[in-house]
Amino acid sequence: MKVFKQLLILLGINFAGELISHYLQLPIPGSITGMILLLVLLLTGVIKEKQIAETADFFLKNMGFFFIPAGVGVMVSYQALEGRYVQTIVAILASTLIVMAVTSLVTQFLIKQREKRNGISD
Amino acid sequence: MEFLTNTHLFGILLSVASFYGIAYFRDKLKVNWLNPLMASIGLIIGILLLLNIPFDHYMKGGSVIHAFLGPVTVVLALPLYRNWKLLVAHKYSILGGISSGVFAAIISVILLGRLFNLNEILERSILAHSVTTPIGIGISDSLGANEGITVLSIMITGIFGVIIAPTLYRLLRIVHPVAKGIGLGTTAHAIGTTKAIEMGEQEGAMSSLAIGVAALTTVLVVIILQFFQWY
Repeated sequence: MKVFKQLLILLGINFAGELISHYLQLPIPGSITGMILLLVLLLTGVIKEKQIAETADFFLKNMGFFFIPAGVGVMVSYQALEGRYVQTIVAILASTLIVMAVTSLVTQFLIKQREKRNGISD
Repeated sequence: MEFLTNTHLFGILLSVASFYGIAYFRDKLKVNWLNPLMASIGLIIGILLLLNIPFDHYMKGGSVIHAFLGPVTVVLALPLYRNWKLLVAHKYSILGGISSGVFAAIISVILLGRLFNLNEILERSILAHSVTTPIGIGISDSLGANEGITVLSIMITGIFGVIIAPTLYRLLRIVHPVAKGIGLGTTAHAIGTTKAIEMGEQEGAMSSLAIGVAALTTVLVVIILQFFQWY
């Protein structure tokens, strides 16, 4: 029954997220409101990690499976890609390179600044 | 064959069989680079085309699986909670690094999109290429883009990110474990995190933390861009 109890909590939070997004007219999808809600409930101790751990870890570990239908959807919308396959892939690869370089350089720069100011290494 | 394929069972069975079959094959033959999600998408599209089965038949069951993206998104709070202390300890460098990465992603996609003359749908579909898949799909939907292209762009990003990370970090002299982890998680989400865990414990924790923070930051930036009708 443990799995059902944990699933109930997760689906309940998802549902609450949908309600909050709808009634507060938030531009954020209900599932993301649910994610923020779960984080707040965990941080405030209203929900304990062990009350959701097994089911949540199942979803986290096997996440890829749930994206299959969205991915298969590309077969009915490949027209958008027609004649631009190479350009699209090059754009993705170049952007990936840029994002990784910028993120790691800025993070390391900020850490070093802080270490210099505090005279400690953290 | 319609009585077999135009059912909820068909899409679910095909998805489970592909995902399990490919993961089994990967472990048995030790082909670690094989991504079960990418391979399943390819296999299923191949089967549908070969046997002339309509996409709508597959999606009867597919939509049942798709419905679980809600709870899959909600549970992303858990890794964030588990690494909360690390986030608080390094909050300025982490939040500063991740936000700059999020801006770099959006700006570079828009500029590269214009440079390569990609159409609007395509540009919007790859805008969330560095975001973890369930939230990337949500962003893609809210932009009226194509989910399928978004999922593929996210997979390509994850795999490429893992390939370039060691060389890029050496060339740019990225040595701090926090910077390495944040870079991998922000760019290459869950796939990058597997590489970060290989690099070290702190790298892994930072990377799994960055997945959630980067996704939420991207959602926020997209909402602001849309609110002011800048995009």
